[in-house]
Amino acid sequence: MYPFLHPFDRPSHYEGLFPVTNRYTFGISGEKFFRALKDDGVILGTHCPNCNKLYVPGISFCNECLLELEDWRVVENVGTVVTFTILNKNLDGSQRLDPEIVAFIQMGDGGFVHRLAEIDPKSVFIGMQVAAVIKEPEERIGSILDIRYFKPI
Amino acid sequence: MVTGNRYRALNSLPESAFHDGKLLYTFDQLNTHYAWDCGVAIGEYLAKLREGIIIGATCSHCHRTMVPPRLFCEYCFRPIKNFIPLQDTGTILTFSLCYVTWDVQRIEIPEIPAVIAIDGASENHGILHKIGEVDPHAVHIGMRVKAVWKTPEERSGDITDILYFRPE
Repeated sequence: MYPFLHPFDRPSHYEGLFPVTNRYTFGISGEKFFRALKDDGVILGTHCPNCNKLYVPGISFCNECLLELEDWRVVENVGTVVTFTILNKNLDGSQRLDPEIVAFIQMGDGGFVHRLAEIDPKSVFIGMQVAAVIKEPEERIGSILDIRYFKPI
Repeated sequence: MVTGNRYRALNSLPESAFHDGKLLYTFDQLNTHYAWDCGVAIGEYLAKLREGIIIGATCSHCHRTMVPPRLFCEYCFRPIKNFIPLQDTGTILTFSLCYVTWDVQRIEIPEIPAVIAIDGASENHGILHKIGEVDPHAVHIGMRVKAVWKTPEERSGDITDILYFRPE
């Protein structure tokens, strides 16, 4: 029979790491959207002739009438700030020296959640017109971050 | 409108599609670092494995000896204070020949996980471990096995301080 060890002399916990990785493919319309963003540096949307709606980013079927959408259009790189938030903390909770501005930017009848930059955080307002800044062709990898940020016009 | 086969589901994408740039995708790795509190009984068990000893727990009421040790008897609901050293030999209760790894890779030489009844513990009380140094087709239920330990310097207080069990 053993006397129990002092708690410091036995392990209190067991540590491990689950190797969980994932690959997300964008699907048929997403592939088309990101391919155009990577290769041509343009933002594509699809237009529904029934509902007269322009979906940005482009999707394969209309959300309202379920029509198959084939009218892919290059959308102007200009949008409107619908809502925004100013982030003063990093993901790990540490303080940011330069606040990050995240906004929903409407383009056509859709839009993106993306960064706002080249602007004083105090002067951002809802309804502001902003333009997408696209990365240089050699930097683009086919990600939403190929749009570097949006900046005020 | 005729859509034809354009939206037909693909069975699976070939791995090459991810490498030759034909397909765009994002890659992500979740932070799944965890710490599992092993409590008093398993803590003692792991600390003693570091010394090269398998310990069990004996219930003072039903005199059952359990391995791995625990702090109460599930049959009597009484606290256990007796931890005793057991042998590092045992008998295979059940086993499996495993031709795939945990991440579903095919392997030629099978891994042999087995439940081993440890000598010194009560009948049919054992631990799950691996069998090694054996012809996979010679493994059988009732086979006598003995633990192969890491060297004392390599042991870290982990169940893998026992590398595997081999036939006696």
